Amino acid sequence: MHHSVELFDIHVSIDGAPVLTGVTIDAKPCEFVAVAGANGSGKTTLLKVINGTLAPLRGKAIILSQDLSTCRNRDVLRREIAFVPQKANHHSFPLRVDEAVLMGRYGKIGLMRRPTDEDRASADEAMRLTGILPFARKLLRELSGGEQQKVSLARALAQEASILLLDEPTTYLDAPSRSEIMETIHAMHHERELTTVMVSHEPEWVEQYADKVYLLKDGVARLAT
Amino acid sequence: MSLSAALHLPFFEHALIAVLFAGSAFPLIGVFIISLNLVPLRFAMMHIALLGGAVGLFLGLDPMLFGLAFCALASVALGPLSEKTKMGLGTLSGFFMTLTLALAFILFSRGKINVIEAFGILWGSILSLRPWDLALAIGTSLFIILVVFLLFKEIQAILYDREIALSIGLPERRIYYLIVFVLGITVAVSMRLIGALLVDALVLLPAIAAHMIARSLKQMFLLSSLFGLVSGLGGLVFSLVVDIPASSAIILFASAVIAGCILFRRRLTSHAVNP
Repeated sequence: MHHSVELFDIHVSIDGAPVLTGVTIDAKPCEFVAVAGANGSGKTTLLKVINGTLAPLRGKAIILSQDLSTCRNRDVLRREIAFVPQKANHHSFPLRVDEAVLMGRYGKIGLMRRPTDEDRASADEAMRLTGILPFARKLLRELSGGEQQKVSLARALAQEASILLLDEPTTYLDAPSRSEIMETIHAMHHERELTTVMVSHEPEWVEQYADKVYLLKDGVARLAT
Repeated sequence: MSLSAALHLPFFEHALIAVLFAGSAFPLIGVFIISLNLVPLRFAMMHIALLGGAVGLFLGLDPMLFGLAFCALASVALGPLSEKTKMGLGTLSGFFMTLTLALAFILFSRGKINVIEAFGILWGSILSLRPWDLALAIGTSLFIILVVFLLFKEIQAILYDREIALSIGLPERRIYYLIVFVLGITVAVSMRLIGALLVDALVLLPAIAAHMIARSLKQMFLLSSLFGLVSGLGGLVFSLVVDIPASSAIILFASAVIAGCILFRRRLTSHAVNP
C-alpha cells in the first residue's frame, strides 16, 4: 500500500542553524500519526515540509505519491492537504465564521470563480460537524479561543482534503476545550477517513488518539515504544 | 467664484472626474495597506518617485514620467526581491527609502538641479491635471476595481492570513505580488493627483474609517470607497467655496469621516469605565 506521507532523511536548516537532521517518518492512508517533541524541536518545520511550503536541504518528501522536489504544481497538491495552525488569527480583520469556513473551498473552486451552492453546503456541513453553526454570522474576533480553533477545524473539513495537518491545535486552550477539540478531531479523522499528522509537545496527551507516535528530538524522529 | 461657474471650467471638470474615479477606487488600496501592514512600502514609493524625478531632471526629461516609471518598476521588483533576500517588505522598504533618497541627492548635487523643482513631484495638484493625468487616474481606478472584483475571494484569504491562503492551495505569492504592484502604481498616480504628502487623504484615511465599522471585507471595500468619494467631492467643493487648497480640504473631510466613525463605534461598543 502507498503511504500518504513519506519523509526520508529530511534535513532542514533555518538561518544556518540545523533544525531537522535526518527525519524519516511515514503515515499510511487513514492513519493518525502524532509527532511529539519539546518546543523548538522542529515540529512546525516538519509540517511545513509536508505541505510543501518549506523545501528541505536534503532528503525526499513524497506526499500522496508525488515527490515534492519534482512536483510542478504544489498549489494543486496543497488542496489535498488541510492545515490547522497552532493559533487562529486573532487580529482585527473583519471576517465572519461562515466566510472563514468557506475559505477552505477557495483552492478547489479555482481562480476568479465564485463559490457555488455546493461549496456553501459543504461549508455548512463542516460547521454542523464541529458545532459552530449557531455562530455562523458572528465575527471571528468575537469568539473564544476554543471556538476559533473549531472554526479552523471546520475550514479544514470544508477543504475535503485527504491529509490533515495539525500544529498543536490545543496549546492555548483550557482543559475542557482541549478535550472537546481533540474529540472533534478524532471524529473528523474517522468520519472523513483522513490521514492525520498532528504535532504536540505533550506525548502523553496525544498517544490516546494516535495510531503511532514519533518522538522528535535533536533533529531526528524515532518511533515511541 | 460661484460653484456653477466653476463647474464649467475645464480644470475643475478634470478635478471632479479625477475625484469621482480615484475617490472611489484608491481607498480600496488603503484596505490592502491596513490589512497587510504595508505603510512602509507606501513611504518607500514616495522616495522612489523622488529618485525618478531627479533622474528625469538630470536627463532634462519629464520628471513626473520618470517618477511614475520608477514606481512601476519598483512595485514589480519589490515583492520578489523581498522573497529572494528573505527581508520583510517593511524592512526592504526602509532600505530603499534611504538609498533612493541618497541617490536622489547625489543627482541634485551633480546635476546642479533646483531641489525645489525636484521636490515639485511630491506636491501634486488636483486642479492642474492634464488630460494625460486624467486618463491615468481613470485607467488606474478601473484596473483596481477590476482586480478587486475578479480576485475578491483570493484577496480575502490573503488579507486574512497569508499562511492560510497558501495552505488552501491558492497561488498566494503571485496574488500578493499583484497587490504590491497595484499599490505602487496607485501611490505613484495619487502623487500626481494630490501630492505625495497628501496621498493618505485618498488612499489611507477612507480605509481607516471603514475598518473601524465594517463587519466584512466586502463592507470594508464598499465603505472605504464611499468615504473616499464623499471626502474627495466634499473637499473639492468646500475648497472652492472657502478658497483653501483642495488637497487640504479633502484631508479635512476625510478626517471628519474618521471622527464620525469613531463616534459611531463608541455608541456600539462597551468601553472601560474609569475607577
